Amino acid sequence: MTAAGDGHEPSHDRRGGETGPAEMGAASTGAASAGPATEPVETEPDPRFTLANERTFLAWSRTALALVAAGLGIVQLLPPFPGVPFGRHVLGVPLIVLGAVLAVAAYTDMMRNQRALRRSEPLPRSVLPRLLAGTIGAVATVAAVVVLLSATR
Amino acid sequence: MAPAAPQPPVTDPADRTRLAWTRTAVGFAAIGGAMLKVSPIAGGVVLLLSLPIWLIARRTSGAGLAGSSPRDLRLVTVTVVIVAVAALVVVIFGRSPDSLGQLLRGR
Repeated sequence: MTAAGDGHEPSHDRRGGETGPAEMGAASTGAASAGPATEPVETEPDPRFTLANERTFLAWSRTALALVAAGLGIVQLLPPFPGVPFGRHVLGVPLIVLGAVLAVAAYTDMMRNQRALRRSEPLPRSVLPRLLAGTIGAVATVAAVVVLLSATR
Repeated sequence: MAPAAPQPPVTDPADRTRLAWTRTAVGFAAIGGAMLKVSPIAGGVVLLLSLPIWLIARRTSGAGLAGSSPRDLRLVTVTVVIVAVAALVVVIFGRSPDSLGQLLRGR
């Protein structure tokens, strides 16, 4: 851990209580979890890493919430596209579904990252940016098609 | 030569995290308020769900460098999913003329 040795106290000195981030990730390092020798050793990461992980999770959650709001706004606030029945639903529903998927994926991602931090392993690659970019690109393409169809009818 | 000053306590990351929690709570309240206009029941539920998020934000400010519990983080995820399901219900069965609900009622 690179930042752990820059003069700040280790995280386990500052943590207390049973609801702290020590619960995140995989099993604890106690004697009860002493398994086979291949099991990676887990230690408490620097608290700044844990808090950064938490903030990233919250940022993804807000993005998911914004997608839900955008989907709802498209269906409820936009006027109907003439000649394209369900045009607003075709655009709005995928955004709402993506919002729900993104929220769950952000939680899974955060847990995987926390486990990697505890094991001093490289952080796993996240699928969230690709998922978000792919879906927004697809919805934008469909939106362009719907607008063009609506204009030609 | 003067001795090196002791390192100040690290409080900034905790502050940033508390602000992130507050932004999230405000986001939930905002979408709840917007949904109130479309569907009072769904909007009320979402608005109520922003309250525990705000309470977590308040609690985080007193926790120092100890982060939130996984239960708190799960609550955020579950709340976003509930908001999405409520939005889907409003969108599909709402009063808009091209909604599935209106289509079924017309048949």
